[in-house]
Amino acid sequence: MNNLISNLPAFPNLDSLKSVPASGPNEAEGNFGSVLKSAINQAEELHGSAEQQVTDLLKGDRGDVHNVMIAVEKADIAFQLMMQVRNKIVSAYQEVSRMQF
Amino acid sequence: MNMFSALEISGAAMGAERQRAEVVATNMANAETTRTPSGGPFRRKQVVFSGGNNSPFQLVLAGFRRLTGRSAVHISRVVNDPAPPVMRYQPGHPDADKTGYVAYPAINPIAEMVDLMGATRAYQLNAAAVNATKQMIQGAMDILK
Repeated sequence: MNNLISNLPAFPNLDSLKSVPASGPNEAEGNFGSVLKSAINQAEELHGSAEQQVTDLLKGDRGDVHNVMIAVEKADIAFQLMMQVRNKIVSAYQEVSRMQF
Repeated sequence: MNMFSALEISGAAMGAERQRAEVVATNMANAETTRTPSGGPFRRKQVVFSGGNNSPFQLVLAGFRRLTGRSAVHISRVVNDPAPPVMRYQPGHPDADKTGYVAYPAINPIAEMVDLMGATRAYQLNAAAVNATKQMIQGAMDILK
């Protein structure tokens, strides 16, 4: 079960954002979108892993209580991070749409 | 190294402490056991904590990789206490030898109790470390608010 968690890819760090080329808005948009999408996917994977571990624990198959709690916390933190980024994007969009000409 | 490594380190330590508490509970449960499948009285069990790869080269290498379960603390072995059994004179006991003495495990319930308290406290310590790490990560995310 620990291997399951440690094999999950890490969240994209800032280095991957640096590689966004400033050439065209479309390319940059696509890259940022893909970064966001992969972050969402990883949050989803952590949720799936936590769910599986909780199921295993409740069935009594295997797993320690603390490892399951840590997995749930990881999923929660990843989800919160994703929501923070999403809220920031939406507020930036609203800021632009309220712009006066 | 990602933001969850500290959580995994604390989780491994909590697992090790839980195993230590299990071994102490085994010792307390078998404090009066005079016969075992391997013959003789129960032998007191002790855990050996191991930090995994401790050589300098391995530590440098671990700095480049993600911290895995192998470099976190774990219980590598459970060994028998070499202390000789305690002999008590009980001629009517079925496990008494020819001279009437019964071999009892050399287990001091008070020492086991102290060991159990140590395991419990260390478990709480690592749970506190998990909470501290969680608050640090959440503090970092609050920057975005």
